[in-house]
Amino acid sequence: MGLDYKLVLWNKHKKNYDKLIALGMVLYLIVFFVLSLVTNAEMTAETIIIRAFGSLAIILLHLILVIGPLTRLNPNYLPILYNRRHLGVSMFLAALIHGVFSTINFHTLGSKNPIESIFTSNMDYGSLTNFPFQVLGFLALLILFVMASTSHDFFLKNLSPKIWKRLHMLVYLAYSLIVLHVFLGAFQQETSPFAIGVLCLGFVLITGLHLTAAFKEGKIDSFKASKDSDGWLEVCTTGEIEESRAKIFTVEGERIAVFKNEGKLSAIHNVCKHQGGPLGEGKIVDGCITCPWHGYQYLPHNGQSPPPFTEKVKTYQLKVVNGFVYVNPNAYEEGTEVTPISC
Amino acid sequence: METVINIFIIALGLYFGLGLLFGLYFLFAGATTIDPLMKESKKVVRLLLLPGTIATWPFLIGKLFQSKKV
Ligand code: HEM
Ligand code: FES
Repeated sequence: MGLDYKLVLWNKHKKNYDKLIALGMVLYLIVFFVLSLVTNAEMTAETIIIRAFGSLAIILLHLILVIGPLTRLNPNYLPILYNRRHLGVSMFLAALIHGVFSTINFHTLGSKNPIESIFTSNMDYGSLTNFPFQVLGFLALLILFVMASTSHDFFLKNLSPKIWKRLHMLVYLAYSLIVLHVFLGAFQQETSPFAIGVLCLGFVLITGLHLTAAFKEGKIDSFKASKDSDGWLEVCTTGEIEESRAKIFTVEGERIAVFKNEGKLSAIHNVCKHQGGPLGEGKIVDGCITCPWHGYQYLPHNGQSPPPFTEKVKTYQLKVVNGFVYVNPNAYEEGTEVTPISC
Repeated sequence: METVINIFIIALGLYFGLGLLFGLYFLFAGATTIDPLMKESKKVVRLLLLPGTIATWPFLIGKLFQSKKV
């Protein structure tokens, strides 16, 4: 939403968030080092570094993967979503350190190129218990690289939000590869049963939350509105929408947010132009509909971002009859002015 | 299996090599023609964008050609 690209878009909230991430990571690493040295004094520094950063990366990845469904189930988690990108980049850096140290430790002593060595030092691709698990880690790291390196609004815009979103959906593939990397690695390394237990629990948590959130959204989509004689759809009563808030309805396959601003109603397409955030879960702040994900703003009466910004979403016509709100399912062009209607 | 692995690694190397060449051109020249925000952007910002350009250059190259046509 800026007029030139900045290194990082920081504000006070994001700075505090980043400090918290950095502090958490450092604390985790210190605790990991101390515990490793206390419980097993013979462990080499390299092994501790490899394990500390590998486990840190997978913990951060879990956090990243639960944020999405958590915010859909309970908006109180939104502040964590707000800066998820920085969490993603931190996770990649931790995974990179783990991968680079493992590669240096296990694959730079021979005459082969280290990357080739990751793939060929163990050729037991048909085995389960002796599978070359490091290959899976390497492939996951490639995906994480693509995601972390494109975590900037420049790419969102120049790759197009659709491609960007698809690339970032690869996080689920990366997650699967990493789970296999750790499980198959466990046959060959003395990974503790505790770590395996935590990983299983994490898997149940992530799939459980995704399914619950999908079920909740399915309910919105299966909403059937009744039509009046003009083909307008009755969606709710005026009292059901709180001031400065919205309700979301799926009308002929499109999600629409109906907002109440200073007692008047306006309807816009529910999908934020930035990364598809659910506008109807946001609030009206200073007269602008504010996306709950990263704060892009739109004016309720025309779906346009306030100048100098240029984002626009579709708008819809509303009417109120006997306290019932009706939506005209035929959308207007993006950014079309529609006079808000009184309840 | 060895050949598959060799081809994969060479392809990966080529992808990143070409990506680096394209990325340098794109960030310091090409992108300014398709994204007006790039004109004002500082050098460090462009360097920060380099890894991502290397990673996704096939998508960006298409966009550059499209914009040249219009
Ligand atoms: C080039 C890429 C990678 C290589 C060469 C690699 C190599 C290894 C090796 C050798 C181990 C066994 C370490 C030991 O127990 O002594 C390991 C374990 C592990 N790796 Fe990776 N890995 C890579 C990428 C990744 C990525 C991307 C992640 C996650 C984000 C990851 C997460 C883990 C975890 C959680 C463990 C178990 C740590 C433990 O034993 O406590 N690895 N990896
Ligand atoms: S999705 Fe990022 S601000 Fe709306």
